[in-house]
Amino acid sequence: MRNDPRGGQSGRGGQVDRDEGEVRARTPGQRGEVYYSEDPRDVGWVRENIPCQTACPAGTNIPGYIRAIIEKHYGGSYEINREANVLPGILGRICSRPCEDVCRHGWPGNGEPVNICHLKRAASDLKSAGHRITESLYTPSGKTVAIVGAGPAGIAAAHDLSLLGHDVTMFERERDPGGMLSYGIPEFRLPRDILKVELHNALRLGVELKTGIAVGKGEGEVPLSRLLADFDAVLLSTGCMAAIPLPLRGEKKGRQGEDPVRTTPGVEYGLDFLVEHHRGEKKTVGRRVAVVGAGFTALDCARVAKRLGGEEITIHIRTTEKYIPVTKDEIFEAKREGAKIVGLRSPVGLITDESGALTGVRFVQNRLGGWREGGRRQAIAIEGSEFVEPCDTLLVAIGQKTVNDYLDVELGLDRWGNAEVGEGGMTSVEGLFAAGDYVSGAATVIEAVGHGRQVALGLDTWLMGRVRRKEVVRIEPVEGPLRERAFDFIPRQEMPTAALAERFQEPDREVETGLGEDLAFEEAKRCYLCNLKYEIDVDNCIYCRACIEVAPKNCIKLVEGIEIKADGTYGDLAEAHDWDHVEAIWIDNNECIRCGACFMVCPTRCISISRNEIVVRDV
Amino acid sequence: MAKGTHHVIIGIGIAGNRAAEILRERDPDCRITMITMSRLPFYNRYDLPKVFRGVRDWREILVDPPAHYDKSHITLRRDSRVTNVDGQRGTLTFAHNEEIGFDRVVVCTGGSGYLPEDLTDYRHLMNGFATFESAMTVYELLPEGGRVVMLGGDMIGLDLARTLLETGYRVTLVVNDYTFWPHRVAADQRGKYLEALERLGIEVHEGAKLERVKEGPKGMPARCLVFEDGSEVFGDVVMPFCGLVPSVEFMLSSGVDIERGLLVNPQLRTTNERIWAAGDVCQIWSAEENAYRFYYGWNNVRAMGEVAARNMTGEEEPFVSIGDEDLYVDKSGHINSPFWQHD
Repeated sequence: MRNDPRGGQSGRGGQVDRDEGEVRARTPGQRGEVYYSEDPRDVGWVRENIPCQTACPAGTNIPGYIRAIIEKHYGGSYEINREANVLPGILGRICSRPCEDVCRHGWPGNGEPVNICHLKRAASDLKSAGHRITESLYTPSGKTVAIVGAGPAGIAAAHDLSLLGHDVTMFERERDPGGMLSYGIPEFRLPRDILKVELHNALRLGVELKTGIAVGKGEGEVPLSRLLADFDAVLLSTGCMAAIPLPLRGEKKGRQGEDPVRTTPGVEYGLDFLVEHHRGEKKTVGRRVAVVGAGFTALDCARVAKRLGGEEITIHIRTTEKYIPVTKDEIFEAKREGAKIVGLRSPVGLITDESGALTGVRFVQNRLGGWREGGRRQAIAIEGSEFVEPCDTLLVAIGQKTVNDYLDVELGLDRWGNAEVGEGGMTSVEGLFAAGDYVSGAATVIEAVGHGRQVALGLDTWLMGRVRRKEVVRIEPVEGPLRERAFDFIPRQEMPTAALAERFQEPDREVETGLGEDLAFEEAKRCYLCNLKYEIDVDNCIYCRACIEVAPKNCIKLVEGIEIKADGTYGDLAEAHDWDHVEAIWIDNNECIRCGACFMVCPTRCISISRNEIVVRDV
Repeated sequence: MAKGTHHVIIGIGIAGNRAAEILRERDPDCRITMITMSRLPFYNRYDLPKVFRGVRDWREILVDPPAHYDKSHITLRRDSRVTNVDGQRGTLTFAHNEEIGFDRVVVCTGGSGYLPEDLTDYRHLMNGFATFESAMTVYELLPEGGRVVMLGGDMIGLDLARTLLETGYRVTLVVNDYTFWPHRVAADQRGKYLEALERLGIEVHEGAKLERVKEGPKGMPARCLVFEDGSEVFGDVVMPFCGLVPSVEFMLSSGVDIERGLLVNPQLRTTNERIWAAGDVCQIWSAEENAYRFYYGWNNVRAMGEVAARNMTGEEEPFVSIGDEDLYVDKSGHINSPFWQHD
């Protein structure tokens, strides 16, 4: 810890228009102009103080698009989304919402997180029918890129690469693009008209989409080596389209090399079940359906099975509901539709009748073990605690993995079979890049979109021989507070849903019906707009303490020093406990809920507000 | 035990109150803080049906007078909601952002009435029965001789039904998976118990699935239940009685293991050595069953409060379930349950 040598919060570092090392006791608000900064303190401020944007794998400017909803600029809000995530209407429905887990409004004492995801959807739903998309196009580069796999990562990369002026050709083995979006996620969660429009918009800038064409080594398939020869670069985004086998033990191991899940009537992998269902194949389930698994695929299997006539649907999970990686809303809706979730059990065997058909699943009871990555828990089997649950259909959805048998080039893979890539997304093969689940293993759609964009930038840099786009912080003075203290007491507005009876009468009917304008407005007002930075110019402060008196939180502090981290960003504040040690008065933006009370009460107008946003600019 | 050890009890139901008694008995010098979301001090929720027998002054339903807490040197914090318990730091946080420290804490928050997810759209048309205030609301809504429609009919609800029938009200029971909860009744035994309920005077509605709840038309009872076969049931009040959900939300960031309830060992200690749990909020490891399980009923809950408090003050005693847990029809044809037995 040391004192901030710049004499207070107003001393901002890193404006591109300042002299090296100069410290200015002047705030952006006073200066009255927009400027861009690469200073690590400004970048660090955004990373630390806008937790939702930092948590979003695509880096979506969430306060920005929510503010646009408050202003009823729905098209503008959609465009802000689209700058980071080319599929807002889709992600506004099916995102895993890592942003909401860290939303400042959800921190202890602040209430419930903002319904960020559904506001994204609101922007998409409420924009005018004639809304026109805005894209900034680069001149043609003359470079060609092939993308294998038209899932979310491939789509996001294709969009960005085409904007950057490259000729992109996509190869997709299925009839339609979208990958898991088209073939994994049920229509009642993601209507296909929304999907088609956003996929079309993502690819309309000259991307050549070749569907029904498989890249591989088989007859009629296009070898990867040929793509590498024909194109300047190739991007693999083939996702994780193989189910992880069920590790059974006991009486039903099957003949050598035989997977009992594939050979036992009534048993199926959840991924295959969903893909075949969405290809239009007729799927059936028994009266009692057991689903094994704890992710979105498992829940989707359960809900589809219910719509196909399953009467008793039970989702069996290894740990407990608290630790499964799906949103609370999805759990609630699955239960509402009649699915039961039972925890602390792992399947160890299949029970069949004389004909070989499934009659039950043998489970072993678990207890919770240590922690895993991502806040999940290990499950430890309790030996001797086996029991049988009768069922007619078993859907196994315990995870997905990559498929690599299509490769005719030698590619560096990790021990899970995922592609190993360098910083820019290039694999061990020169000119061959990889993105999305094919690199990370099975993850979420927003992670795939974020990674697709990131690799597109890396690929562009490699193709062009220089960095052409770079993230900087855009800092804009703001006249006054943009929200009222009363907004903090608005309860979270939940997504309206279709009545249960209607869901089963029309199995594809969208369950979540949309927030609508009024609910969206109320919900948007709840956002703290964490991109607003409140600062005190200590040179003008008379230490009257009026701001401290009106602050609803412990957000304005008298300090004797501020930690400055190795990268130049600010760390912890050392609060002064007696007046003789006060070096500055400081707004703790972590505690600040942007209510504006301090700004309104300040007699010397020494508090300024600026909007700080990460933007991508040309280098 | 170190002098001045601070024991915190979250929840002042049967388990919490018993824990306080034992703690004070075993550690006369300790600090005890009891925290409740209720505005009232401890009353026995099993006594709530007495509202229909004329006990409608809150002072009459309290188990101990308010002065009891002062006399016992217990700090009682009413109308206070805990939002987080940090076992590592030994602190807990209230909704109003106050933080207090503790040496040991026992969570006795019980459970709240479970409303099946498919009924949540009709929450505003139903009434709960978990608190004195909610019991009084039901009393005020019911006209003389009025009808209560019970959805499910767990043992808490059926206990209320007995009182309602004895005090001149009418009861319709809409049977579902939660009828007789927490008892597990085999399908072939179910009819016997439903017949016993009918002998009590309860109208049993079984078969068609409930489609929706709506307001009754003018001149009719306030609520109308519509079933999938088109049949309708009218009532003045609709009350879901579908079992309990352990009240653990405030413990989600505490780091202790949770399945449905707080997972505890037979000594009622959670996975954090400073945090114990007792009553309907905890799932206790059963070595015989190789599983965590709940134990319900006044006797069990009270015993858990006692065991937790003894173990917080140095013992290592396992919880042993008290009494059998079976529902039965006695010789005179009356349905009975150990769940209803209390002092």
